[in-house]
Amino acid sequence: MIRDRLAEWLDNPKLDAAIDALVAKQPGYDAWGFHPDETRPFAKLAYFFYRYFRPEIRGIENIPEGRVLIVPNHSGQLPFDGLVVGMACLLEGKPPRLCRAMAERWFPTLPFVNVMFSRSGVVVGDPMNCRNLLEQENAILVFPEGTRGSGKTWSHRYQLAQFGRGFMRLALQTNAPIVPVSVVGAEESIISIHDARTIADLLGMPYFPIPLLLPVLGPLAYLPLPTKFYIDFGEPMTFEGPFDDEDEAIDAKVKVVTERIQFQIDQRRAERPSIF
Amino acid sequence: MSERRAIVTGIAGGLARLVGAALHADGFEIIGVDYREVRHELPFTTKIYQANYNKTKIEDVFRRHAPSHVLHLGRVGNLKQTLKKRFDLNVIGSRKVMDLALRYGAKRMVVLSTFHIYGAHPHNHIPIFEEEPLRAGMESPQIGDAIQLDNQAITWIYQHPECRTALLRPTHVIGPDIRNAMSNFLRSKRGPVMLGFDPMMQFIHQQDLVDAIVRVTKSDEVGVFNVSGDGTLPWRRALDVVGMSQIPVPSSAAITYLKMAGLLSPSLPPYMVNFFKYPCIISNDKIRETFGFAPSVALEDALRSTRG
Repeated sequence: MIRDRLAEWLDNPKLDAAIDALVAKQPGYDAWGFHPDETRPFAKLAYFFYRYFRPEIRGIENIPEGRVLIVPNHSGQLPFDGLVVGMACLLEGKPPRLCRAMAERWFPTLPFVNVMFSRSGVVVGDPMNCRNLLEQENAILVFPEGTRGSGKTWSHRYQLAQFGRGFMRLALQTNAPIVPVSVVGAEESIISIHDARTIADLLGMPYFPIPLLLPVLGPLAYLPLPTKFYIDFGEPMTFEGPFDDEDEAIDAKVKVVTERIQFQIDQRRAERPSIF
Repeated sequence: MSERRAIVTGIAGGLARLVGAALHADGFEIIGVDYREVRHELPFTTKIYQANYNKTKIEDVFRRHAPSHVLHLGRVGNLKQTLKKRFDLNVIGSRKVMDLALRYGAKRMVVLSTFHIYGAHPHNHIPIFEEEPLRAGMESPQIGDAIQLDNQAITWIYQHPECRTALLRPTHVIGPDIRNAMSNFLRSKRGPVMLGFDPMMQFIHQQDLVDAIVRVTKSDEVGVFNVSGDGTLPWRRALDVVGMSQIPVPSSAAITYLKMAGLLSPSLPPYMVNFFKYPCIISNDKIRETFGFAPSVALEDALRSTRG
C-alpha cells in the first residue's frame, strides 16, 4: 500500500521522457561509468528529494546549449542542493539537460554510493575530468566552495565560503559560459551548530556536523527538514583571458561570479515568505 | 647483419609468441629468449634460448645474432614471483637487455611496460595520459620493479636517441593464448568481487596488442604509449559477459586475506584489490595518432574469447 502510494508520488512522465531521451543519445556506458538506463532507480531517489524540497525555480532558460558550467552556492551538510539543481536541469531544462556533477574526491571510496554516483553521471571533481566533459559539450555542475560550503555552520549561513579558482580556469580554457546559481533553503535543511573536527578526522570525513536538533532528535537530526528550496539560474556569464593567468587576475573574475550569486541569494532571501 | 632480425624476450609467453609469429610472417628473423622453459611449439622457425635477462648467457645471444630490433616483452608480470626475482629480471635484467641492444647496434627497441604503474586510485581522473604521475608506487612498494623498469626505459629514450625506443603501457591483456592473472581469472567459474564497488575497466585483446606491437616495431617513432582496446565496461558487467558467477566480499576482508596469505607464501599483493575498486582508464589517443593503431576486436568479443 505504502509502496504503491510512493510509486504514484514518484511517477513523473516528464522524468521518464527525459531519461528516455538520454538513453537514445547514449545507450551504453561512458568511460566514467554513466549509464542513462541504469540511472533510472537513482533518478527516482533524486526525484524523491526533489519533491521533498518542493523547489521553486527561476531562470532555467538561462542555461545555454552546449558546454556550460553551472555554479551554485553550496550548503546544507549533505549535497541535497546538488541533487535538486541537477534534477531541475533534467526536469525543467529547455531542453532537458543532464548535469555532470563534480563530486568530492572521497566519493569513490564510499561503497555502493560510488556505484550510484557513477551510474548517474557524477564524476570526481578533477580538472581533467571537467575539461574532457566540457569538450564533449556537457553541462557541468560544480560547487567551487567544495566542503567549505556544504559544511558551514549556522553562524556562516548564506555567506559564500572561498571559491576555488579551478572552475574559472576551466571556463577560460574551454571557452565555456558560467551560469551563476543561487540555492536558498538548503542552509536550513540540516542546521549545524558545530563542526566536530576531531571526529571528522577520525572518520576520514571532510567535516562532521553537530545538528542543532541533535539533543532532541538524536541521530534523526541528521535527516533534512522539509524546507522549501528556491533556485535561481542567473544569466550566463562569459569571461576572456588566459586560463593560466596570475591568481590575482583569476580571483578578480571569480569575484564577479561570487558577487552575482550573493546578490541572487540576498534578493531571494528577502523575498521568500518562510523557510518551509 | 640481416636488416630485420629481432630478439624477442618473454618468448615462453603467449603474447611474445604471437608477436614473433606476426613479425616472422612480415619477414623478420626471430630469436626468442626467456628465463623460463619454452614448452609450446612455436608456429615459426626461430632460434630459442633459455637465459635469465640479468645473467651472462644473454650476452652470448646478442653477440651471436646482433639484432636490428629488440622487443623486450618479457617483463615478469607474475606478482606471485618473489620481489627479489622480479627485481633481478625486471630491473637489472631489463637494463642489461637495453645495454646489449645498444652495444650490438640495434636500431629499434620496444619495451613492454604495464598500465598497473598508474595505480587504481580513487582520485584518478578519466582518461589517464602518458605524461601523468605513476600513483601505484604510493600504494605499494611491491610494484616498484615495474615502475623502475618503466623509468629506466624513459631515461633510455632520451639518453640514446640512436636506438629508437618506444615504451608501451598496455591495459589488461586478455585472450585465449594469454595466461596472465586477469585472463586466468576470467576463465574461472566463480570469483570474488568487492562488495559495493564496480569500477569501469578496459581490456585489450591479444590480437590488437600484437597489431600495436608490430606497428610500433616497424616504425621509428620514440616515446611512451598507452595501449588499450576501445570501450569500457563495469567490472561486474565484464564478468557477466564471460558468464562468471560473482561472490561479493568486503574489500577489507580481501585485503586481510591477501596479507595473511602473503605471510605464508608469495601471493597477490593487497594493492591489487584497488584495481577492483577504483578505475584506471587510460587514453589510447597517442598510439592511434602516432602509429595509426585501431583496435579491431570489440570489448565483449575480447572478453568472451578468453574462454576459447
